[in-house]
Amino acid sequence: MEKVCVLGAGSTKYGKLADSIADITTQASISAIESAGIDPKEIKAGYISNVFGVADKQVHLGPVLMSNLGISDKPSLSIESACGSGSVAFREAFANVAAGFYDCLVVTGVEKVTHTGTEWTTTYFAYCSDFFYEGQAGASFPGLFASMARAYLTEFNTTEEDFARVAVKNHNNGLLNPKAHLQKKITIDDVMNSAVVASPLKLYDCCPFSDGASSVVLCSEKFAKEHGNDYIEVIGSGRGGSPAALQGREHMTTIPSTKIASEAAYKMAGITAKDVNFAEVHDCFTIAEIVDTEDLGFFEKGKGVQAVREGRTNLNSDISINPSGGLKSKGHPIGATGIGQVVEVFDQLTGKAGARTVKDAKIGLTHNFGATGASCAVHVFQSV
Amino acid sequence: MTIKEQLIENAKQGKVLAHKCTSCGLLHLSTVYFCQKCGSKGFEDAILDGTGSVATYTIITVAPAGFEKYTPYAFVVLQLDNTDLRISGFMAGIATPADLPVGTRAKITGFDERGIIIEKQ
Repeated sequence: MEKVCVLGAGSTKYGKLADSIADITTQASISAIESAGIDPKEIKAGYISNVFGVADKQVHLGPVLMSNLGISDKPSLSIESACGSGSVAFREAFANVAAGFYDCLVVTGVEKVTHTGTEWTTTYFAYCSDFFYEGQAGASFPGLFASMARAYLTEFNTTEEDFARVAVKNHNNGLLNPKAHLQKKITIDDVMNSAVVASPLKLYDCCPFSDGASSVVLCSEKFAKEHGNDYIEVIGSGRGGSPAALQGREHMTTIPSTKIASEAAYKMAGITAKDVNFAEVHDCFTIAEIVDTEDLGFFEKGKGVQAVREGRTNLNSDISINPSGGLKSKGHPIGATGIGQVVEVFDQLTGKAGARTVKDAKIGLTHNFGATGASCAVHVFQSV
Repeated sequence: MTIKEQLIENAKQGKVLAHKCTSCGLLHLSTVYFCQKCGSKGFEDAILDGTGSVATYTIITVAPAGFEKYTPYAFVVLQLDNTDLRISGFMAGIATPADLPVGTRAKITGFDERGIIIEKQ
């Protein structure tokens, strides 16, 4: 297996964007290619992650991107895996470089939905659930995570204020990220007093619907060395699955796919959870970050809230969780999110993260899932 | 009738059509076609009472299209009596968490455009 490296990375700003889905796909890709310091003609194939291209009248984004990059003869494909599309596309690209099929790829995630309004997005996102049992019965995505939150509140010594602390922390981090969607300092009271979306989750427990695109250039170690720019190494990659509906899970406060994917990624990397310096985890809702940090092995089950209370997940504490601001503050353009996490890890490990730099970090992790964690991918990266 | 149609007809009678693995005995919802435990394809029907207790739930105030007129309502995960199976559905008329503590007794009472309908017992 070839060693695989990230040679370049870039994102558009996340938020409400005016440009078309094709335009932001191209913008992010060009920024990644410029960051890599390569000519587009050196790219052998394109991987796109996107869910709702139909909302902006453009599916089959790959050939549009390749044409815009002047490499219309190069193959491309699109991957959909709900909110986990980005990390799944990254994984497939990783596997192809590792196997030696390609020495240099562009992997770009994108979403453009905010122009459709809250009702459209709430409705269409519910199609990512096990629709017969969940979406059809009126479950929104906040509602499904709220059901996990209710189970967590019932099972463990936790309060809704504990969930709010996750939002406050991630907004603090997002304030240091110029590309974040919600750059606003908030307090626990702000979260507690925000409108209830799906009890017990309130508006500030939820990530925003965002537009945005993120892109990375992925290549073999040989290619990276020959091109001179700073790069990082992908040392672990794991995927896993969970029952599509919450009702099918043994515990409703655990996401099995996270455990399966992270165990595989740690094994490939030859590390344990303790070796990870910082992690970009899938905090689509505050409860999700708490569950994630437990399932990833950073804290025991039921102890994730205590870690948040004690500030152990703050920037430059025990383990910096979501230094970018996470989905909660940086934003969640669902097809782009998994790639955006890799962009953050690249920036952190190559000294480009500015005020939100995790000091002395050597190993970073990305964790991204689809729907309520029915599909998941975890990647581990190391500075070179 | 397809299996889903049979599941719906049973729900309308307050029952749950389940599938029991003929190799290892594990019970599944009828929309599963291979045993999660042993991989067997052999199932026999098991008609369960649609009664149980609320395992978890949420009260939806920002609803997907078509559900605005029902807000606030609950999406419920029901733990079925005497089995390890859970099934989800819609419950009308729930406004605050005090209306539906976890563990509340509930039952399936029907199926319509809101999916499986669950009511408090």
